[in-house]
Amino acid sequence: MKNIKYTLQIGLALLGSVGLFSSCKKNLPDARLSIGNDSQFTQYVYKPVLGRNTLFSNNFQFGSSSRPLDFKIVNMRTFTGEPAPELTAFYPVMVWKQAYDGTEKSIAEIDAKRALENHQLFEIRPHSGEFLMWAAANSNQIKAQPDSGYVFDVEMSNSGGRKYYQNLRLLPFKERPYEPSNLDPIIGQGPNVSVSPSGVNITGERGQPLNAGTDVRVVFKRNGNGNSLTFKFSDTLSNPIDPNKFAATDWANLVHGFNMVKTDKYVKFDAAYPIPLSTYPTKYTTLSGSQARVVFRFNRQAFGNVLQQCFVALNFNIYQQGDWEITFQFLRDKPKFDND
Amino acid sequence: METNRFKQNVFPMKYFYTIAFLLILGCQSKTFAQQKITVTGVVYDGSTKSKQTLPGATVLVDGKVVAQTGSEGSYRVTVNSDAVLTFSYIGFQPVREKVNNRTVINVTLTESSDTKLKEVTITSGYQTKTKTLNTSSAVTISGKELQGQPAGDVISLLQGKVPGLNIQNNTGAPGFRGSVTIRGISNINVSGEGNSSFLTPTSPLYVIDGVPVDDNADYSYGFQPAGPGVSPASQIPPEEIEDITVLKDAAATALYGSRGAYGVILITTKRGNSKVPVIRYSGSAFLSTVPQLRSVIGGKDERLLRIAQILGNDTSAYNAIDKVNNTPFLSDSLNAYYNNSTDWQSYFYRPTVNQTHNVNISGGDMRFNYKVALGVIDQSGIQQNTGYTRYNLNMNMGYQPSDKFKLVGSLYNSIQKQQTGSGNGLQNEGVATGGSSSSLLPAPSLYSSVNSVLGALTTDNDSKVLNTTATVNADYEVLKNFKIGSYLSYTGVSSVKDNFSPAALNENQSQYYTYNDRSTTLYNRNQLSYFYSLKEKGEDAHNFSLFAFSELRSSFFKADAILNQQGVNDQLRGPLTNVTSYISSLGGTVGYTDLRTIAFAGAFSYNYKQKYVVDFNYRIDGLSSSGPNSGYKKNPAISVKWNFNKEQFLSKLKWLDYGDFRLSYGSNITPNGGIYDAYGKYYGGENYNNSKSVILDTSLLPNLSLEPTKATTYNAGFDLGLFNNRFSLAFDTYYKQTDNILKNKDLSATTSFGGISDTQISNVNYGWEFMVTGRPLNSSSPFKLSLTGTLAINREVLAQLPDGLRERIYDDIAAQDQDTYYRLGLNSLSNYLYNTKGVYATNRQVPVDPLTGLPYRVGAKNILNYFRAGDPIFTDLDGNYVLDENDKVIAGNSQPQITGGFNTLLQYKSWSLEINTSFTLQRDILNNSLASQFANFGNPTSMGNLVPLSQYNVWAKPGDVAAYGNPLDFIRASIINPFRYSQTLFQEDGSYLKLNSVKVYYTLPQNFTSKYGMNRVSVNATASNLGFITNYSGPNPENVTTLGRDYPGGYPLAKQFAFGLNIEF
Repeated sequence: MKNIKYTLQIGLALLGSVGLFSSCKKNLPDARLSIGNDSQFTQYVYKPVLGRNTLFSNNFQFGSSSRPLDFKIVNMRTFTGEPAPELTAFYPVMVWKQAYDGTEKSIAEIDAKRALENHQLFEIRPHSGEFLMWAAANSNQIKAQPDSGYVFDVEMSNSGGRKYYQNLRLLPFKERPYEPSNLDPIIGQGPNVSVSPSGVNITGERGQPLNAGTDVRVVFKRNGNGNSLTFKFSDTLSNPIDPNKFAATDWANLVHGFNMVKTDKYVKFDAAYPIPLSTYPTKYTTLSGSQARVVFRFNRQAFGNVLQQCFVALNFNIYQQGDWEITFQFLRDKPKFDND
Repeated sequence: METNRFKQNVFPMKYFYTIAFLLILGCQSKTFAQQKITVTGVVYDGSTKSKQTLPGATVLVDGKVVAQTGSEGSYRVTVNSDAVLTFSYIGFQPVREKVNNRTVINVTLTESSDTKLKEVTITSGYQTKTKTLNTSSAVTISGKELQGQPAGDVISLLQGKVPGLNIQNNTGAPGFRGSVTIRGISNINVSGEGNSSFLTPTSPLYVIDGVPVDDNADYSYGFQPAGPGVSPASQIPPEEIEDITVLKDAAATALYGSRGAYGVILITTKRGNSKVPVIRYSGSAFLSTVPQLRSVIGGKDERLLRIAQILGNDTSAYNAIDKVNNTPFLSDSLNAYYNNSTDWQSYFYRPTVNQTHNVNISGGDMRFNYKVALGVIDQSGIQQNTGYTRYNLNMNMGYQPSDKFKLVGSLYNSIQKQQTGSGNGLQNEGVATGGSSSSLLPAPSLYSSVNSVLGALTTDNDSKVLNTTATVNADYEVLKNFKIGSYLSYTGVSSVKDNFSPAALNENQSQYYTYNDRSTTLYNRNQLSYFYSLKEKGEDAHNFSLFAFSELRSSFFKADAILNQQGVNDQLRGPLTNVTSYISSLGGTVGYTDLRTIAFAGAFSYNYKQKYVVDFNYRIDGLSSSGPNSGYKKNPAISVKWNFNKEQFLSKLKWLDYGDFRLSYGSNITPNGGIYDAYGKYYGGENYNNSKSVILDTSLLPNLSLEPTKATTYNAGFDLGLFNNRFSLAFDTYYKQTDNILKNKDLSATTSFGGISDTQISNVNYGWEFMVTGRPLNSSSPFKLSLTGTLAINREVLAQLPDGLRERIYDDIAAQDQDTYYRLGLNSLSNYLYNTKGVYATNRQVPVDPLTGLPYRVGAKNILNYFRAGDPIFTDLDGNYVLDENDKVIAGNSQPQITGGFNTLLQYKSWSLEINTSFTLQRDILNNSLASQFANFGNPTSMGNLVPLSQYNVWAKPGDVAAYGNPLDFIRASIINPFRYSQTLFQEDGSYLKLNSVKVYYTLPQNFTSKYGMNRVSVNATASNLGFITNYSGPNPENVTTLGRDYPGGYPLAKQFAFGLNIEF
């Protein structure tokens, strides 16, 4: 019995020393993340154009806060302080599931890479603080400029605490369904009806080279809700020019469209929208990938027996789905297709 | 108990046995006169592996000394035929033999094992106590365990033998020491960049025969290329060491105060203890062989691989052919210059034969003893042009004219020479770049393009360190149990380093760097001690002892260096030169310290019948390096111990040899920074009002309250010995908090000062240490087997950063970009890396931004920047589908967390076999060598060595699930940087089990050796550094920097095969 008592004492001493050392650990700081004072949004006013997917990146400086951080938009309100349910509700938006790389063989294949998901129209990326506006946002729901737009706060947090950034502004522009655009960004109306092509090297029938700014213009027109893109050419009297006259054009790789129909009045493709689908550089886009690029070419023998490589080129975006028609109008002179 | 006064002595255990023996004799009653016979025989030392004879052992009859054994351990006495002979020797168990008419009696004396605990003594706080009364955490390793394995640095031999003493032999450079830490790191500062980043070392304080030697001073590490890197502890050859004690908790180190914060290692050297002078020789020849090096592709294979890579991966076939044709070393395969298969590593490495010799003469007894030891070790490094030579002459003498007075003097002299090639010894940049050259290039010559090779081979780098230490120690017993004593020691060290770089390497003008330093230390300690006992029932029950001392230390260090450029030729190496300007001579004082410390300390100890022991220590330190406002530092320590085996109720347990609980608390300091940190730096300015102005250097704001680093330790321990010492266990758990770690802090420009030396960093180490020893065989068995295992688990936590910061990143500005992350609550030195989770097998695996439809990418939106199949999968931590700095994660701990070892000793007659292993677990290594070899694929038109891809799981075609990405896609390599150093792919588990050494001893039969006039001859064969069991893919998981980076410039650890001979005349 006595032995048991002392065994107990020894045991207690052991337990006590173990307890002593486990309690020491309690005083150690816990390994939590930290929030730095120098973490900051570098941009407080966001002006997306409605009808397009817009991403605002490089807008947050992490400073000495530890990653990962969590971001949340809170208190989204109109400029007058009323709630803005249109920006907190969820709407179906088209999201990419796989990368678009320009090698897709049909619209169905492209659409298989996208899907509809429900999102808020204006979101913050949960860990990077980047803002994004989905293309589904339109000026029927969203207050666009010249309205004073929306005001919101952002909560940044991690296990070390939270921090609020207040009174960030969202000032969307009205939709401009295509670029280059003839529409005024704020009022959404067009002071002009056309835009200029990106490049022209064509000699007119009257022997003068055509000027890209004044002699040739491009008109965008949306004819329906389909999935097509039509190119037309018209002369000074608005008579159609046969696209086949642009004989050197690389029709197969002109746009990322399918089922080309080429008549003597137009050339038409089935195309997935927006054009281009992403900014991934493909053979259908500019080098940076930010715009689709079409070049219509023909060659002729010019004065002095030289080969003149003629073209008219357009870099463009179309954000809204539909049956779009792009017409190249030669205003001052018809292009000269014949040899000299 | 006349002899109690000797307790204070350096070798009190000698006296214990004498006392014990005298007491035993006192009980003898009488003898019967019988017929006299002559008895002869030999006394052997049973504790040595080779069963040496024991000169100087006393033979007693009835307590009277009748003889002493001669130099061969033999004796001759004439006694009664039925007498009882008692053989005794200091430190050994006396043996009694009845004569019974025998005329030849051979005796083997052994160190008594069943009384091992009670009589083993521990020195701590400049006092020697029996282990029963020792309340602190300390481990003693006998010098015998360190024999037979030649080493420049003796401390490296302790690897795996002491739990909590973490030794990583991270360089094989001869004469350099590895990293030594006791109970985790005590400093978290990282300096340097890239592969040369190193952790501020916190080596323990070495106390050699009672005199502290600081190891963290000056240029003794070799990171800083300014001076030679010779450890002060390496001046003692292993053969001269009696024992080494490692003091781990603050209660043990409390009295070492002003520099004990990183732990203390006590080294005691051997003394003379034989009446008859003995000459001992021990020497060995050892072969250092080149270990496994890194594998590379050689010759034609390299060329074909590069050509195939370009043809298969370039943007177009024409471009590829053009690229090949424009690269002569690929297209011009018949050119003799490019048609080679040079194994570059072979030009740097070679096996070497080395030797070490030690001779000592010793003799004497308690009254007067002396020893003179002469030693030399000459070691050529396995890397060309490197080596280490040490000559040492150590002498000590003890004289005790009366029982009251004792004088001990010792003198250590050593000359150490070192050659470090073109590197600084620890690392060799030249070998790194040269060894990783393309195999197509021709072998090194004066005309070869690989200058680094020439540099490594022809640079003359000579370092010499002269070290002299003289110590005098006097003790006087004024009254009974009251002693005063004084230590005085002077150490002078002077080092020179000459580095001559020939003209061929420096645009036809040679370059000569010379460095010299001078360091002196004067140390004085005056102490008094008093011992008092209150008797209870006739035995000492209440025992008090008081110990107090004052300590004074003055150390001075100054280093000057000059770089002479524009030498005339390679022959003139003198004190040059007609340098073009002072600036180009680059000379000046590169290091200067002048430190004074003063301390007063006291220790009070009380025990009740040795059952309950309480120790109080208190020490007050004044340091000249601390700020004037920080004042004297007070370090208390208290420790208690309960020897529960001495309790009445446990006395019945025959199987319990000893058992105790220990608890301790204490603190220690170590000086921070230099005098400039506390007082600022001043220089003379222009005249103002006709008097010279004095200007304060504004780069550093004086910190008037600069504090020394302070370590506070709590320790709880438990010791157990069972079954007649067949099994013993020591367990310790500790909590060590290190405060006031120095760190330079930048100040805002508005203060007009650049920065301030600031002490606001703290870290905490806690852990558990186990040491288990088993002797499973019966003591009567001819085989003797001893198994020891040690295990230490250390957890380190960062507890405080300056100005309330919770985290900080040490930004590695080198290309390696391997940042160090400090976060409170985590281990201090976390790697901050990109997290690699494999390789994209197909393009579809690359994540896509749902908004933009773009794949995950690096940097700009160029088509080459998007990830695709064959690229590594890096975690996108912030989820923005762009890989950038913000995606790094905290990964891994560069410090070993679990260390230990297993040691086996098997003895059979005159044979003995010893096997030592050590292990390290939970350590992360960054394999920078492999990363750079893979990265070489990124540029097939520039020369560099390539790793054989067949050895690695490399992605080759879509669908491959691989560990390493596609190395052949060189077009995108510079953009994607798939083999960036700073990724977890190259962070590997550095756990290893290492076979440190296998030693075999054999003692030649004495009747054979005595024919040649030799008393005792033993031979030994030792193989060390034999190999590893590890998952690490590089050549050696131990041979990495203190921050766990494996680097081609690291000095590989040689395999060593030694054959040794020990002769005693």
